Amino acid sequence: MTDTCVNFDRVNVTRNGITILESVSASVPRGSCTAVVGPNGAGKTTLLLALLGQIPYRGTIRLDAPGSNSMPRIGYVPQRLPVDRGMPITVLDLMVMGHARRPLWCGISRIHRDRALHWLSCVHASTLAKRALGVLSGGEWQRILLALALQQEPDLLLLDEPAAGIDLRGEHLLCELMESVRERHGFTQLMVSHDLATVTHHASHVILLNRSVIAAGKPADVLVPHFLSIAFGLHMGVAAAPWLHTSREGSDR
Amino acid sequence: MNLSGLAGFENTFMQLALAGLLLLAPIVAIMGVHAVQMRMAFFSDAISHSVFAGVAISLLFNVHPQWTMPLFGLLIGIAIMAIRRASTLSTDTVIAVTFSAVVAFGLAIISRNPGITRELPRFLYGDILTVDTAGLIRLAVCLVGVIVLQVIGGNRLLYIGISPVLAAAHGIAVRRYQYLYAALLALVIINALWAVGVLLVTALLVVPAAAARNLAASTRGLFWWSFAISASSSVIGLVLSAQPWARTASGPTILLCAFTWFLFSLAANRSRIH
Repeated sequence: MTDTCVNFDRVNVTRNGITILESVSASVPRGSCTAVVGPNGAGKTTLLLALLGQIPYRGTIRLDAPGSNSMPRIGYVPQRLPVDRGMPITVLDLMVMGHARRPLWCGISRIHRDRALHWLSCVHASTLAKRALGVLSGGEWQRILLALALQQEPDLLLLDEPAAGIDLRGEHLLCELMESVRERHGFTQLMVSHDLATVTHHASHVILLNRSVIAAGKPADVLVPHFLSIAFGLHMGVAAAPWLHTSREGSDR
Repeated sequence: MNLSGLAGFENTFMQLALAGLLLLAPIVAIMGVHAVQMRMAFFSDAISHSVFAGVAISLLFNVHPQWTMPLFGLLIGIAIMAIRRASTLSTDTVIAVTFSAVVAFGLAIISRNPGITRELPRFLYGDILTVDTAGLIRLAVCLVGVIVLQVIGGNRLLYIGISPVLAAAHGIAVRRYQYLYAALLALVIINALWAVGVLLVTALLVVPAAAARNLAASTRGLFWWSFAISASSSVIGLVLSAQPWARTASGPTILLCAFTWFLFSLAANRSRIH
């Protein structure tokens, strides 16, 4: 058993002749809340998709489950999920369809209903169970996707821009929610974020990425003007330190 | 159900047609819901048009089209799914390219045999009244296949329809279910061609599911509405088409009934929103 949950070793991703990730080597400590940060187009989401086996890559990505040689269970919260807004699929239907064998047109068994409601209550979303997916707000969607991922009882929770499309208050609530659930269930969390303020407050380990790894380690060691100017450009490096700890405006949905 | 009192139903071929339609109704209701949710309506069009290539191959190899049509339909269904998974092209582009290729190939070969062109209207328009016992058995086999797929992976297909990436991340064998569904859909479409023909078979699949989408409030309701619309349209359409005052072709009459349901569902959905 190692103390890392994920290890990226010289990972390269090229698409249509363009290098998206170049020799990315980094590790995700077990039990940590690790954030992958970087500017737009840095390859953050690509790194997650490579980890999920959704895109071809060169190099090695090693996943270690705690206490065994098997693959860790993964929970995934995608950045955006385009849904057919008119499709009458409810939140409860979505929570059940990945687990129950009995076709949904035969009804939902009490066991699966209770299990789904338990995870919905963990993210304070029990009241949304009968709501159609198409009418959920951005913040509600993120909580449902989080419940869906937690329902996997994951060893590794992957989040792609979990705060995208929700307001500042919603973002803080979501982060606090994830922290409390992580403390209770003890999984490793790997999230992609472009929001340095969120990362500073909530992450315990940071991988600063711009096609290749600029720096990795504790937020206080990585989110410093020197590394930020390399990743984001000179202006960001100079401006970073003051605004990392200030609030920003957000907009709902 | 005793329908022999109704005009036309004293004939065995009408009773066989009714039995066939009642077998077909749950098949198209279930497969249609998945086709609409997975945005695969155009896929069924490509499969139905592969019938021309199926007939062409039967001519080339001197085998009965009854064998080449389902085999070629199955092959095209799996090929489209494989190209769709491997290529960065959008699904509709992949289907359009395959669709045109199979139709062009089929028509090119068929045009060399003027005798067979007389048979084409049968495939284009279908004829419900020509179903025989063997056709009913094939439909019953399709129904069993659909039910088995529902039990082993109906909910998984819905999950894949929401997001294949999310489903795969959460441990669902996406590729396996996508191929199983594509293969079964191909067989269902080829076996449903006798009812309404190449031109309307996609509507038979999609219209009840699309109407159900407007009327249902949950996934469970979606399937049951789709079945109710499919079955009621089949029975009412067949009965109407057999009446002396109507004397219309059965397939199109059934689809007009389903379309009436769709119009009603649009109105019901609009009043629900407001």
